[in-house]
Amino acid sequence: MAEYTPMEMIAYTGSRVLEDESIVFVGTGLPIIAAMHAQHTHAPNLLMIYEAGSLAPLLEMGMPLSVGDTRAARKATYLKGLCGVFELTQRGYSDYAFIGGAQIDMYGNICSTIQGEDYRKPQVRFPGSGGAGAMAANCEKTIAIMALEKRRFVEKVDFVTSIGFGDGSPDYRDKAGVMGSGPYRVITNQALFGFDEETRRMKLLEVKPGVTPQEVQDLVGFELIIPSDVKEMKEPTEDDLKLLRETIDAEGHFLKRQIKK
Amino acid sequence: MKKIGSSIEKISRVKYDQKPLEYWGPTPDEARKIMVSKSKALKDKRTTLQEAVKTHIKDGINLGLGGFVNTRVPVAAVHEVIRHGARDLTLSMQSNSICCELLAGAMILDPDRVSIKRAELAWWGYEIIGIAPLLRYLTSNGMIELDDYTNYGMSVRFKAAAMGIPFIPVRDHGGSDMELLNKGTMMECPYTGRNVYLVPACHPDVSLIHVTAADMYGNSRLFGAQCTCAELAMAGTYSIVTAETIISDESIRNYPNLTEIPHPAVDSLVEVPFGAYPGACYGFYWFDMDHIKMFRAASEEFRKTGDKTKLKQYYDEYIFGCANHEEFIEKVTDEETRKKLKEMDGGQPVILT
Repeated sequence: MAEYTPMEMIAYTGSRVLEDESIVFVGTGLPIIAAMHAQHTHAPNLLMIYEAGSLAPLLEMGMPLSVGDTRAARKATYLKGLCGVFELTQRGYSDYAFIGGAQIDMYGNICSTIQGEDYRKPQVRFPGSGGAGAMAANCEKTIAIMALEKRRFVEKVDFVTSIGFGDGSPDYRDKAGVMGSGPYRVITNQALFGFDEETRRMKLLEVKPGVTPQEVQDLVGFELIIPSDVKEMKEPTEDDLKLLRETIDAEGHFLKRQIKK
Repeated sequence: MKKIGSSIEKISRVKYDQKPLEYWGPTPDEARKIMVSKSKALKDKRTTLQEAVKTHIKDGINLGLGGFVNTRVPVAAVHEVIRHGARDLTLSMQSNSICCELLAGAMILDPDRVSIKRAELAWWGYEIIGIAPLLRYLTSNGMIELDDYTNYGMSVRFKAAAMGIPFIPVRDHGGSDMELLNKGTMMECPYTGRNVYLVPACHPDVSLIHVTAADMYGNSRLFGAQCTCAELAMAGTYSIVTAETIISDESIRNYPNLTEIPHPAVDSLVEVPFGAYPGACYGFYWFDMDHIKMFRAASEEFRKTGDKTKLKQYYDEYIFGCANHEEFIEKVTDEETRKKLKEMDGGQPVILT
């Protein structure tokens, strides 16, 4: 089996989760890489939305380094502004939100605003919602990428930036006035999670070969639903890695980053 | 107390006081009155940035920042605002990087010249390059008040203002902490009976926008991602528009469909090539990551050590040491750099004739 890094595993798994003939609203970094990999392999008709205003660009100048990068507007089929693409999303044109964050809880609520309890004077201020809050509300399904660490998979997030299933009550999202069906997958380098239909709680779907469900549970600050049929995550092949390293992120802007210990 | 849709306060750890709802800039009625009072003539709006800033920028205003993160950001105008000075600013924007960090740095160096009191925003950072050190410094020390929305939330607040309506219903913010703490409010839709979130219009006193091209009257074209520039120009009670290039009125009249900002929404117009540098301008130049990294490194050094030397050097050299943007561009780039930035943009066609 080919040697791969945690970032490459996340990008590859992200690609696997995306279906062909759909629209994915991408955030900066790994979501873009995952969507590009999917387009090059199993999902040639997967289309991307970039929040500065473009739909279905051709990324001929290479991977955009941010969602506002002029390269993400190149040869789009539809090019407006933020209102234009977020309104496509509210209307139901966007199948997947693909976002990151600093913390996530068992109901898929995500924090990317602050660390700490005092909004006026937080320990750490993150950049803020950006598009993530709107994407998690109104794309049909939310896919989150997060490093599998106890400080990130928490009992209670410091701030809900991107809505998941709230407190887990069946009508939480309905009362919140949002349109999408909510959290769908959480991708990490060691495990792939989904959500239980009955309880809306995070459920372990797949583990990296060699990792046990208990080892995953030990890295998570809340109780996971662990079914008896947890599968092994598929690993990227040499061809996948070549595509990721030489074609998609040839300069190593995102894939060469380390997960902080 | 606001009516809320769900039990959001039980889900997260954050604490905040619910504030009385207030406008952080002109009310819709005030904004309308100012617009009605202006001349709507097709007249030559061209001026210098010094003159435009002197005319419109005052202490205590709500300053709208155009572009998005590092695309078509009004850097030239922000440099001039810093040279001119403006205290107790409210910033309003969806997502921005270097413009708000430049204003924050000016505040840290000399709060008697520039200060930011608060910001209504969705995002403040550098994306791939890293967190915004000066935002982190200001927030950790409780020196700035923030009001958080999503990118759509802020964009559509400008859109509502541009439409002349006091609020607009949206499908986001609900069920997040933003529902409780920002100026929006949940209500029951009178038609469907479902909960729907409302956000108030946002009228900046002055909007700063960099456009691709404009005629001398201010009729403006936007190529590449349009961000929220047209909405922001029309939301502001006054606007300062910098244009990468000035085009003929004949061209505007041949392709009126391409006009994104109509002339009455432009008060001052300045032709500023490289006006978004070190940000990007589609069809003209890509962003200069090295320059942004250099400014960010000086900011980060201050945040980590408290030493302002490098930060001050940046401002002395590149802002106070330049009379205008042309001098700045001459100082920081050479022909080769400018050629490289143009190549990296990929040279998509823009319509200028």
